[in-house]
Amino acid sequence: MNKNIEQDLQKQLRKEAIRKNWNLFRQSKLGMIGLYIVIFFLFLALLQPFLFITGIWNKGVYDPVVGYEAIKDTLLVVECPKEYPTEKYESMKDCPGEGEINVKRLYLAPGVEVGDYYEAFIQPAPPSSRHLLGTDSLGRDVFSQIMEGSQVAFVLGFLSATLGVGISTILGTIAAFFGGRVDAYLMRQSDLILMLPSLPLLFIISAFAELKVWHLAIVLGVLGGLGGSVITIKSQALQVKVKPFVDSARITGGSRWRIMFSHVLPNVAPLALLFMVFSVTGAIASESVLSFLGLLNIDMSWGIMIYLSQTDGFIFSGLEFWWLILPAGLAVTLLAGGFYLVGRGLDDVFNPRLRKR
Amino acid sequence: MGEYIIKRTLQMTVVFFLFLVFSYLLFNAIPGNAFSNLLLNPDLPPDAYNRVLELYGLDKPLFERLQLYIVNFFKGDFGYSYKSFPKTPIELIAERLPRTLMLFAIVNIVSFYTGFFIGKILAWRRGSKSETWITLTSVFSYTVFYPWFALMMLWVFGYKLGWLPIGKFLYPEKWYDAPFDSDIVFSSMIKFTIVVSLIQFAAYLATRGIESLSSRRNLRFASLIAIFIGSYFYWNNGAALIKKPYAADIAYHMILPVMVVTIVAFAGTALLTRTTMMEVLKEDYILTARAKGISQKRIRDRHAARTALLPVVTSFIFTIVTIIDGSVLTEQIFSWPGMGQLLLQSVLEEDIPVAMACFSFVGVFALVAHLLADISYSYLDPRIRIKSQG
Repeated sequence: MNKNIEQDLQKQLRKEAIRKNWNLFRQSKLGMIGLYIVIFFLFLALLQPFLFITGIWNKGVYDPVVGYEAIKDTLLVVECPKEYPTEKYESMKDCPGEGEINVKRLYLAPGVEVGDYYEAFIQPAPPSSRHLLGTDSLGRDVFSQIMEGSQVAFVLGFLSATLGVGISTILGTIAAFFGGRVDAYLMRQSDLILMLPSLPLLFIISAFAELKVWHLAIVLGVLGGLGGSVITIKSQALQVKVKPFVDSARITGGSRWRIMFSHVLPNVAPLALLFMVFSVTGAIASESVLSFLGLLNIDMSWGIMIYLSQTDGFIFSGLEFWWLILPAGLAVTLLAGGFYLVGRGLDDVFNPRLRKR
Repeated sequence: MGEYIIKRTLQMTVVFFLFLVFSYLLFNAIPGNAFSNLLLNPDLPPDAYNRVLELYGLDKPLFERLQLYIVNFFKGDFGYSYKSFPKTPIELIAERLPRTLMLFAIVNIVSFYTGFFIGKILAWRRGSKSETWITLTSVFSYTVFYPWFALMMLWVFGYKLGWLPIGKFLYPEKWYDAPFDSDIVFSSMIKFTIVVSLIQFAAYLATRGIESLSSRRNLRFASLIAIFIGSYFYWNNGAALIKKPYAADIAYHMILPVMVVTIVAFAGTALLTRTTMMEVLKEDYILTARAKGISQKRIRDRHAARTALLPVVTSFIFTIVTIIDGSVLTEQIFSWPGMGQLLLQSVLEEDIPVAMACFSFVGVFALVAHLLADISYSYLDPRIRIKSQG
C-alpha cells in the first residue's frame, strides 16, 4: 500500500519535471525551429514505407534504387542552321528550342528526317505532379531518394550517437571516479584517438573493409566515444563528484559502483544527452562526406545523391538541373542544423545560466 | 607543475610509440602495396615486381619491417618516398606544409576575429528579431554540407561570374619564363604576412591600455592604414617588384578557398561566443557594472567579452590542432597542393613512408598542443588547478 503511493508520487514528480522542462524548451525559439525540422524529416523517413505498403506508390516506379519510369516527350526534329541569326533562332543557344531536337543528335536513330516527330525519354526529368522533385539521370524518383536518405541519416545518426555517448559517459565517469592510473590510461587513450586524422583514417578503414551503414555507425560511434567527449564528460563528472550528496551516500555505505551509477551518472546525463544531439550532426556530416567521396557500400543516401550529381556532371551545369543539386545538399544541411538547434534548446533547459530569466 | 609535465611527457612518449605501431599496422592492412600496378604492365619482365619489392625491403616479414621502421624513426631516418623516389618524406612535407599553414592561418585568424565579434553582438541583442535571423544563418553555415557548399561557390564565382579561378595554386602559363620557382615567391609572401600580422598585433598590444574606446579604435585603424601604405612601398621597390606579379597570381588563387572556409569556420566561433557570453551576462559583476552606470558598450566589450574569451581561445587552440586533418577535404576540392593532399595521396597510393611521416607529424602536433592546452588551462582557470591537486 505504502509502496504504491510512493511509486505514484514518483511517477507524478517525473511527469511534472518533464512538463517543466518542456515548457522551458518551448520558450527557446531556435530550439523549436530545430524540433520542427527534425520532425519534418522523421515524417519523410516514415512516410516512404507507408506509401509502399499501402500501394499508393508502385515499387517498380518509385523505388529509390531500382525504380524507373520512362517519361516520354514528343519532340520536333529540326536542323540547326550554320549561321546565326536566322528568322527562327537569334543565337546558337536558342537552337534547338522548346520541344525540338537537333537532327545531328539522332545519328543513332536512322530514318528520322527533319520535320518528323520523335519520341524521346527525358532523364533527368523536371519536377511534375507524379514526381514531386523530378527524376535523376537513371529515371529514379528524387523525392523517394530523399526519403530513403533521411532513413539512412536517422538510423546512422541515432546508432552512432547512442553508442558514442554511451561509451564516453561510462568511461568519463569511471575516469573521474577512480582517478589515478585508470584516469591517466583513459585520458591517454583519448589522446591516441584524437591524434589520428579522422578522414584519412576512415579512408583506410574503407579500403580494407566494405562499409555498410551500420558498420559506419559503429566506427563513428566508437571513434567519437573514445575521443574528445570522454574528456568533457570527465570534467563534468569531477564537478558532480565533490558535491555533498555523493559524500553522504558514501558515508551511508553505498558501494562504489552504486554511487557511480545511481548518483553520479544521472547528474552527468543531461550533458551526455546534449553531446548525443550534437554528435548526430557530426555523424550525418561524416556519412555524407564519405559517400560523397564514393567510399561507402550503401545503395542510397544524401551523400550518394550529391556524388552522383557530381560524377554525372550536373553540379557545374548550374541551376538548370536544380532538382539534382539542391534537395540533397539542403537536406543534409537542414537536418544537421535542426539537430544542432535542438541541442541549443536543450542547452537552455539544462544550463540555468543560459536562461532568459 | 614540473612533476606533472615530466609525467605527462613520459606518458606521451608511450602514446606516441603505440600510435606509430598502430598506424604502421593499419597501413599494412590495406590490401596490395605501392607497387601492385607493376604487375599490370605486360612490358615488364615477370621478376621485375619482385626485384622492386626487394629493393624497397617490402619482401621482408611485417614484424621485421615494423621493427626496422621504428628503430630508424627514432634515429631520425624516415626512409624514402615510394612514389617520388629520390625525395624523402621530410622534403615533401617541407614543400607542402607552408601552403597549408598559410591558407589556414589566414582563415583561422579572420574567422576567429569575425566570429568573436558577431557572437558578442548576438548575445547582447538576445531575443531580438535580428538575433534569431543571424543565429539561424550562422547555424546554416556551421552545419552546411561543406563539399556541396564549396562546389556551389566554385560554380558561382569560378564559372558563372568568372571572377575567380577554379581551384589550383597558380596559372602555369604565367610562370613559363619566371626567374624563380613558386616556393621562393611563396616563402617571401609568408614572411611578408608574418611581419604584417606581427606589426598589427604589436599595435593591438600597445593600444590595450588606452581607456577611451574610440581613441583606441582610431589608433588601431591608423596602424592598419600605415601597414597598407608600407606594404604598397614594399611591393613596388627592389627585389619584391619582380616577384609582384607572381605573388599576385598566387594570392588571386587563394581568395576563393579562404573565403569559403572562412564562411564555414566563423560560425563555430560565433555560436560558441554567443553561448559563453550569455552565461557571463548572468554574473553578478555585470549587474554591478550596470548599477554603477557604466556605458553599455563598455560593459559589453570590457567586462563581459573578456571573460567570455577564455573558452573561445581554448577552442581556437584545438582548431589549430585540426588544421591538417581539416585541410584534406578543402584541398581536395580546390586542388590546393598542400599537406592535406599529400596525406590523402600517400594514403591512397600506399606510399607508407610519406603517410607515416604525415601521420606522425599530425600526431606530435596534436600531443604537444593538448599538453600546452592543459597547462595553460590550469594557469588561466584557478578552479581547475585546485581540482587537479585534490
